Amino acid sequence: MNAVEIVKAVKDARIPATEITGKAIERIRQVDSEVRALLTPLFERALEKAAEIDRKIEHNQDPGPLAGVPVVVKDNLCMRGLKTTCGSRMLENWCPPYDASVIRFLEEAGAVVLGKTNMDEFAMGSSTENSAFFPTANPWDRERVPGGSSGGSAAAVACGYAPLALGSDTGGSIRQPAAFCGVYGLKPTYGLVSRFGLVAFASSLDQVGPFSRSVEDLALALNVLSRPDPADATSSRRKRPDYTACLGKDDLKGLKVGVVTEFENYPVQPEIREALAKIEAILRGAGAEFVPVSLPATIEAGLPCYYILAPAEASSNLARYDGVRYGISAKAENLMDLYMKTRGLGFGPEVKRRILTGTYVLSSGYYDAYYLVAQKARIRISREFREAFLHADLLLMPTTPTLPFRKGEHQDDPIQMYLSDVFTLPVNLAGLPGLSLNAGYSSSGLPVGVQFVGPKWGEETLLAAAEAVERVLGKPACALGGD
Amino acid sequence: MPIGKDEILRIARLGRLFVSEEEVGPLQRHLNGILEHFERLKRLDLEGIDPFALEEEATGFLREDAVSAWAGREEVLQQAPNREGDFFRVPRILEENEEEVSPDERR
Repeated sequence: MNAVEIVKAVKDARIPATEITGKAIERIRQVDSEVRALLTPLFERALEKAAEIDRKIEHNQDPGPLAGVPVVVKDNLCMRGLKTTCGSRMLENWCPPYDASVIRFLEEAGAVVLGKTNMDEFAMGSSTENSAFFPTANPWDRERVPGGSSGGSAAAVACGYAPLALGSDTGGSIRQPAAFCGVYGLKPTYGLVSRFGLVAFASSLDQVGPFSRSVEDLALALNVLSRPDPADATSSRRKRPDYTACLGKDDLKGLKVGVVTEFENYPVQPEIREALAKIEAILRGAGAEFVPVSLPATIEAGLPCYYILAPAEASSNLARYDGVRYGISAKAENLMDLYMKTRGLGFGPEVKRRILTGTYVLSSGYYDAYYLVAQKARIRISREFREAFLHADLLLMPTTPTLPFRKGEHQDDPIQMYLSDVFTLPVNLAGLPGLSLNAGYSSSGLPVGVQFVGPKWGEETLLAAAEAVERVLGKPACALGGD
Repeated sequence: MPIGKDEILRIARLGRLFVSEEEVGPLQRHLNGILEHFERLKRLDLEGIDPFALEEEATGFLREDAVSAWAGREEVLQQAPNREGDFFRVPRILEENEEEVSPDERR
């Protein structure tokens, strides 16, 4: 059952929320030893929350728009008094003193959190292999990675642990694992969803968003998640639409879809090209028109621009892990020693790499050559997208250049790993919404994803186009024999 | 020019990060690879772009700068790795400044 069906069944008192939660827990117990998507299960708490929903139904109180819907959330979202590790030794036993706003929004809406999902340490990575605890497997081929950094959330939804999951996306961390696991993943416009209680990675790029296996679930989740939040200074005050209202349209007549001309020569695996052609045919069939758009600077400089700015911000954000106030703390003789040893012990190789890169590009003598240039390039890239959206309502792009890669394949080659995000990270640089959807499966049975990118606040267009595709291809399948 | 081993250790110290003997080599190789990739940025025409100009109006929240009570103090202190009463305990800090301080550390 998808989230919309669960809400209906629970509200009509046909199925108790406790039964829904119990079944979800059973499913997790059945397959998680193979997939390892969960870092911290919260089963007892979940059953208590579900019982609260059932009591509300019994007393004719409104249980909320996500009544009884099981969800899993990435382990960089704070839940009060519960372990929030960020996939890091540094925060192995840390329990935050407050809830992230998005967690509060979900629970107030009646959703039931089943557990915290695995991730690359501090959301730095594209394979979930950088988790300090264990890697997560791709449910479609357990020798391959689920993508990352929100790999646990994507794999959990693909296996049917829950119809909805939360992830965070700084350079593709929702969309890339969504593509690799064959589910929907939405990275909203910067400022649409509150980040209060999301552990910061690169604050000018981070955004929280949902995973699902149906478009209507994605829209329903976005309605709940997108509340303006005074606790996050970057949360926009704009009035939000009802995101489910844009669904159910007969066709896409009048919709202009942009295809990026520079991507034609970019090395992309043939099965992804075929998927793009298939989606184009479906959109044309629904009445959409196609127009060429050009993003030369984006494709040339997006990656280096991102890998200067994101580590620069990360090196500054991660300065807080100093062994003094929370997290692990090394034995030390003096304060400098405490900082250095704690951080040397608590951070894994990729996090160290990014802190070093970020520290270097911000250090005196290099700031102008790297950080300032990247800042300018970012503006150039944003302008390019803005220009493209004068001619198109949305862009059709690959989510990734390749199908899911093998575990260990890129572990000693950071640039190859970073290239996995070449089509997703420019969207963060420009603060735009992006939606990755499943476009079918490769001859070897691996999911193939493509991406829709919209102008700022263009989520409704992305959802409507994704629904038009879903009407033809059907909802994404459940992995490992689930339903 | 590629970054040498000493430079890796200098940057690591700026970032307050202990790097072991075994870590230096791979970090040096990776960082040099990444910096080489950054060269692409130099091919871009960035003439006349003000890096600090706001491209759009901000629509976020600005709150009143008002004091409000919060009951979570004990919860926060419970997370301290080394606590003494209502204080965070740290090792001695007073011998620190005898070392030479680089311009970056002063900033």
